[in-house]
Amino acid sequence: MLKILIPTLFLLPTTWLTSSKWLWPTALTQSMLIALGSITWLNNTTDTGWTALNSYIGTDPLSTPLLVLSCWLLPLMLLASQNHLSSEPMNRQRMYITLLATLQLFLILAFGATEMIMFYVMFEATLIPTLLVITRWGNQTERLNAGTYFLFYTLAGSLPLLVALLMLQNNTGTLSLLIIPYAKPLLLMPFGSKIWWAACMIAFLVKMPLYGMHLWLPKAHVEAPVAGSMVLAAVLLKLGGYGMMRLMIVLDPLSKEMVYPFIVLALWGVIMTGSICLRQTDLKSLIAYSSVSHMGLVAGGILIQTPWGFTGALILMIAHGLASSALFCLANTNYERTHSRTMLLARGLQIALPLMTTWWFIASLANLALPPLPNLMGELMILTSLFNWSAWTLILTGIGTLITAAYSLYMFLMSQRGPLPQHMLALPPSYTREHLLMALHLIPLLLIILKPALLWGWFAC
Amino acid sequence: MADYREAPLATRPKTLDPNEYFNLSPDYRRAEAERAALRAGLKRQYQLQLNNPHRKELIEDPALNRWVYARANPYNHFKATKKTSLLGALFGVAPLFILYYVFKTDRVRSFNWMCAGLWVC
Repeated sequence: MLKILIPTLFLLPTTWLTSSKWLWPTALTQSMLIALGSITWLNNTTDTGWTALNSYIGTDPLSTPLLVLSCWLLPLMLLASQNHLSSEPMNRQRMYITLLATLQLFLILAFGATEMIMFYVMFEATLIPTLLVITRWGNQTERLNAGTYFLFYTLAGSLPLLVALLMLQNNTGTLSLLIIPYAKPLLLMPFGSKIWWAACMIAFLVKMPLYGMHLWLPKAHVEAPVAGSMVLAAVLLKLGGYGMMRLMIVLDPLSKEMVYPFIVLALWGVIMTGSICLRQTDLKSLIAYSSVSHMGLVAGGILIQTPWGFTGALILMIAHGLASSALFCLANTNYERTHSRTMLLARGLQIALPLMTTWWFIASLANLALPPLPNLMGELMILTSLFNWSAWTLILTGIGTLITAAYSLYMFLMSQRGPLPQHMLALPPSYTREHLLMALHLIPLLLIILKPALLWGWFAC
Repeated sequence: MADYREAPLATRPKTLDPNEYFNLSPDYRRAEAERAALRAGLKRQYQLQLNNPHRKELIEDPALNRWVYARANPYNHFKATKKTSLLGALFGVAPLFILYYVFKTDRVRSFNWMCAGLWVC
């Protein structure tokens, strides 16, 4: 763990001490080496499952895929931000990279934490660099509103979590993830325990986000610069899923009754947000709502607490992280050329930028869960475990899958096919950097097809 | 005017229809001429921008901007009428209760069947 944490920590002096000519190559190389080093975490050979274990941090099959994803994303974020930051003063560029590196550090500590309070503190700490990136480097005036929504939705959801965790600590004497599964269940007054259950879950459901509490997400995703959108979509949403998976063990006997409203919200949200996607005019907003839709499925999979549900949720989280981040990078390539997110303005790009169309195609196919991509594996596992939970969910998830295919194809056809606007002159051809960025997103996604067992979490058989 | 011959199935535009044209009052014709001049000014502005060799950015279309803003900010002009409340209740509130009822009864029924040994897998 230290061989990843210390290089990440020292990315901060690196950004401030390198000369301006070598800033970006150095930051990229260091973060790429960290990413490659983090892949070694996927090797879980211990009997108990916990590797790299010390008093504070450890990795287990549930956290390693998410850790590798967040480490993999930092070089991709740096690649994506290089262009729009090149016109800023040097110190601001260094500040941006510093914020991304501190976010990375907090994310590694959050996913690697074995103590729930450490996870909570890191969960909150990730909000600050993200808020700074959204509000300072976003492109429209609405970014302040977006930052406010983002911060206060998440904070309001997570303060009850602090109280709930402290109560758990009081009752069980520990909050270590290694010990909690074996502790006695929390016995409170009937209504009090329901409130405690809700307090534990609401923070993560807001973060995921669950359909009723998702208003912060389209705003934050749309107003954030590309690196902010990437990290939000790929990793920060998964913090919610990861937290839910960890805490589910403790909440057990209560969960049988309490999950119903949230599963209903999650599944209905899949359909509603999918339908909203079909009516969007703003490209980034469409991708943001598709994130809500996929995360609704993940929330459904986690809340039913079955092995396949958890496995499907974990795979879908990783696959969606890569695919959604790829789509945001593609949207950014459009934005950098036309300075507009309106889909109508950037149509017919297959004529102008045919190679980018390949990446658009693969990313859209990933979004609509084409076999044999891991997106399909995750969705199918969640679908079948939800069907086992109650047969009627198949109607909702089936319609949801259809709508997902519809809006993914709509996004692809709207941006690539159709007439190219006649007044567009300055469409620079695709940079190698952009092709590299897309390749680094989609090649891991394609490689996961070959061994998805890496991502199955605790239930890899 | 000039050599305008309409397409077989098209109607003549209003300003070229001889019936309309010669029946109009001078005031109306003056107003139409002013409007045509405004339109021509807008078209000239667009053509200047379109053919400007130093232009690097997109031509800004204010109508598109207004449309995009309107599609992105519906809640500023939202009014709770009977229709909107009905739609909200039908799609936002009722499905939650209906689905809760459906899932709960289905789960309770299958649990009872399992307890009674009637559940055939």
